[in-house]
Amino acid sequence: MESLNFKLLEQCSKCGACYHICPSCLNLEGYDPRAVIKDVLAGQHEKWLSHKSIWQCLECHHCLEICFQHYGFENTMAAMRTLAAKKGMTPPQVKRGWDMFIKTGKLGEPVAPARKKLNLPEAAKSGAEDFKKMVKIYREAKTNPNF
Amino acid sequence: MKDFAIFWGCTIQTRFPFLEKSTRMVLEGFNLPYRDIDGFTCCPEKSLVNNIDHGLWILTAARNIALLDKAGVDLVSPCTGCASNLATVNSELHSNHKEKNKVNSILNEVGLEFKGNNKLRHLVPFFHDEVGIPAVKNKIIKPFNGMRIAIHYGCHMIRPSHALKNDDPLDPKKFDNLIRAMGAESVQYMTKLLCCGQGLDRIDQHENALHFARLKLKELRALKVDAMALCCPSCYLQFDNNQFLMEKEGEKFGIPIIYFTELLGLAMGYKPEDLGLDSHRIEATAFLEKWQRLNGDLSKTTELNRQLEAGFGIAQL
Ligand code: SF4
Ligand code: SF4
Repeated sequence: MESLNFKLLEQCSKCGACYHICPSCLNLEGYDPRAVIKDVLAGQHEKWLSHKSIWQCLECHHCLEICFQHYGFENTMAAMRTLAAKKGMTPPQVKRGWDMFIKTGKLGEPVAPARKKLNLPEAAKSGAEDFKKMVKIYREAKTNPNF
Repeated sequence: MKDFAIFWGCTIQTRFPFLEKSTRMVLEGFNLPYRDIDGFTCCPEKSLVNNIDHGLWILTAARNIALLDKAGVDLVSPCTGCASNLATVNSELHSNHKEKNKVNSILNEVGLEFKGNNKLRHLVPFFHDEVGIPAVKNKIIKPFNGMRIAIHYGCHMIRPSHALKNDDPLDPKKFDNLIRAMGAESVQYMTKLLCCGQGLDRIDQHENALHFARLKLKELRALKVDAMALCCPSCYLQFDNNQFLMEKEGEKFGIPIIYFTELLGLAMGYKPEDLGLDSHRIEATAFLEKWQRLNGDLSKTTELNRQLEAGFGIAQL
C-alpha cells in the first residue's frame, strides 16, 4: 500500500470523530485506532504488529466516509496489517486463504453436483492458468528496482 | 441496455449455488442481456490480498476488468465485495496513470489491457437505476404488502462511495425503494447500517463474529420483523449460518434471511423451492406462510374491487 500520510495523521490525533461511527470501536473491547495512531506518530508502532486488534478492522469504510480528510482510521490499520504480514504474522486463516488464492486465483471452485441438482449451466472457465502466468511475470518485475 | 457480464465471485459459486439460481431466474424473468464470460478469478478479496500484496490486489482486479474491456460489456455482481473491490481498483487506476501503465505493462504480456471503460455495478443499485422502479413494479404479481422486512445493505454495496458512486454512503435509499416497490414495509432500525461482522470469522475470531451477528438479530427479534433482506453472500453467511449456529446452542432468533433475488423472484410468482429457499439454514416457512396468506387476502380484496369497478357508473337499479 501507499505510505502513511503523517500530516493527515497529525490531524487525527486532534480529531477522533470516526471513533464514534466505527463498528469495531463501538463493539469490540480494546479496539482503538486512536492509540495506534498515537504510537505511529511517536515512532512506536512495532508493538501493534502482533496485536490481534489490527485484524479487527472490518474495512467497512465508515471512517473514510465520515472523515473530513477522506482518510479514515482504516489506512493506519491496513498499514499495520501490511507490516505484520511482511513479518509473517497473519492469523492462520488469512494464511490459508492466501495460499489458496495464489495457487488457484480463487477462494473456492463451483460445485458441479450441486449445480446439476439446481439445473444450473456449467460454470464459466476460471482464469487460473493466465492468473498464474501473470503472477510469475509480476514477481519477476518486482525484482527490478525501477518497476 | 448494454450487455453485461455477471460476476459471481468465489463465495456464491462455492457455497451458495442456489443464490446463483435465483439471480439467473430474475435476470431471465426481466429478459436482461446478461452473459457469463470465461477467465475471471477472485475479484480479489481486499481484506485478504491487499494486506499481503497491494500490487497483486490491484493487478488481479485490473485483469478481471480488462476481460470486460476485451468483451466490450459492463459488469453486474450479486456480491457486494466483488462490486466494491473491482470499483475501488478501477477508480484507483483511473486516477493514477503511473500505476495504470505499470499494470498494463504486465497485462500486455498476457494479451490484455486495462482500459476500465465499462460500468461496474452491484445488482441492487443496477436494478434500481437501470431496470428502474416502474419496470420492477410491472413484474410484481405476488407483492409483499403487509410484510415487515429489515434491509441489511452490506457495507460494500455502497462504500467506498468515491468508487461506487451509487447511493448515499451513510444514508442509502435504493434498496429501500426496491423493497417498497415489492409492496413491503422497509423497517427502519438502529443497527440498520452496522457492518455484518463476518470478516471476524476470517481472522479466527468466531466469538466476535457471533457478537456482531447478535447485535442486529436481537434488535430485529425485538421488532418482530418478518425477514431480513440482503444481497451479499458474505453477509448471508453471517446471518443465516451463524444465526443457525447460535440457534443450535439454544439462542433463538427466528429471522429468515432472504436474498434480494429470492424476494424479487417470489414477488414475480416463482416457486420458493425453485428459487432455492429450501436450501437456507434458517427456515423461511413462517415468512412464506404469512406472505401466502396475505396474498390470499389481497386477491379477495381484488375480487371485491373487481365487482366495485365493474359496477361503476352503470349501477343496475
Ligand atoms: S474501516 Fe475499520 S477502522 Fe474504519 S470504521 Fe470500519 S472497522 Fe472502523
Ligand atoms: S481519520 Fe479522519 S475522522 Fe478519523 S480521526 Fe482522523 S481526521 Fe478524524
